[in-house]
Amino acid sequence: MDETVDSSAPPEEQGVAPDDAQLVGRVVAGDEAAFEELFNRHRRRVALIAGRFFRRREQIEEIIQESFTKAYLALADFSNERETSFASWLARISFNTCYDELRRQKRRPEGSMSEVSEEESEWLKGRLRVEGAGEDIESAAVARDLAHKLLARLSPEDRLLLVMLDVEGMSVSEIAEINRWSVSKVKVRAHRARASLRKVLGRFL
Amino acid sequence: MVIKKRDGVSEERLDRLGRDLVRASAVNEAEAEAAASNGFLYARVRSRIEQREARESWLVTLKVAWRAVPAMALVAVLAVALFISASLGAGSSGVLTDESPLDIGADGVVFADARAMSSDDVLATILNEDEQEASR
Repeated sequence: MDETVDSSAPPEEQGVAPDDAQLVGRVVAGDEAAFEELFNRHRRRVALIAGRFFRRREQIEEIIQESFTKAYLALADFSNERETSFASWLARISFNTCYDELRRQKRRPEGSMSEVSEEESEWLKGRLRVEGAGEDIESAAVARDLAHKLLARLSPEDRLLLVMLDVEGMSVSEIAEINRWSVSKVKVRAHRARASLRKVLGRFL
Repeated sequence: MVIKKRDGVSEERLDRLGRDLVRASAVNEAEAEAAASNGFLYARVRSRIEQREARESWLVTLKVAWRAVPAMALVAVLAVALFISASLGAGSSGVLTDESPLDIGADGVVFADARAMSSDDVLATILNEDEQEASR
């Protein structure tokens, strides 16, 4: 019985899906279908990253398109030896794209600096004054709207850092690697970001 | 550990609420999932890539043209300088000085004052000679 597998054959012929690095190699060699496969594998992750910063579906789609476009044009520079993985390389591109979009929005005077309503202000005061205030679905919806309004008052750098720390649960070294900052710079910026958020919340006391 | 208070609310409490709000703002899985499942998304990405590549090829052309500008300017300056010096040289050759014959060469000297004889001149010379002979 001859069941030996030819290890020199392409992964598909061996019944194994090619890994990201192999797909990248094929895209660089001109295989467009390989890029579509990469897109299908990673688009949900990119969409989730975009959803951390933007609420509207069109904005999220815009980030997905821009991130994959940037990734495609920079694929030749991507080296699997230097980067940890294609996924983390793409995540870095996605975070940078979100950051650029946040900066662009901040420059626009009609940006998302909506006023906090009376109801939201009362909710916030209640949460600040009463220890362990209950969370129901209604208050969660208020929290989401309010959170977006309050975070829009922070600088894009502060917002990026807070999301990476508190939502993505990244370590300081991971953030440093993604942003290409030093570890101490991340720590200083994180400290400033928390102080800025406290300042924003303090206005409602 | 000293905990600062702002209007009776500790910084720790503000930080905790801040963290909750940041997390609340990031809860957007449904929209993210809807955006990721858009069937036209890949086609749009491809179209954007093609646009970007076309734009980049234009940029490359512009860069090459931009690099050629100094060389083209130098050639233009040299051409203008050559033209000016040539026209100045032509202007000075019209003025006759003592050195002029040396400048313009032997042929110039020989033919400079030469006038071509017209048929009237020839006729007048013959008639003069005839009159002189007749008067003798």
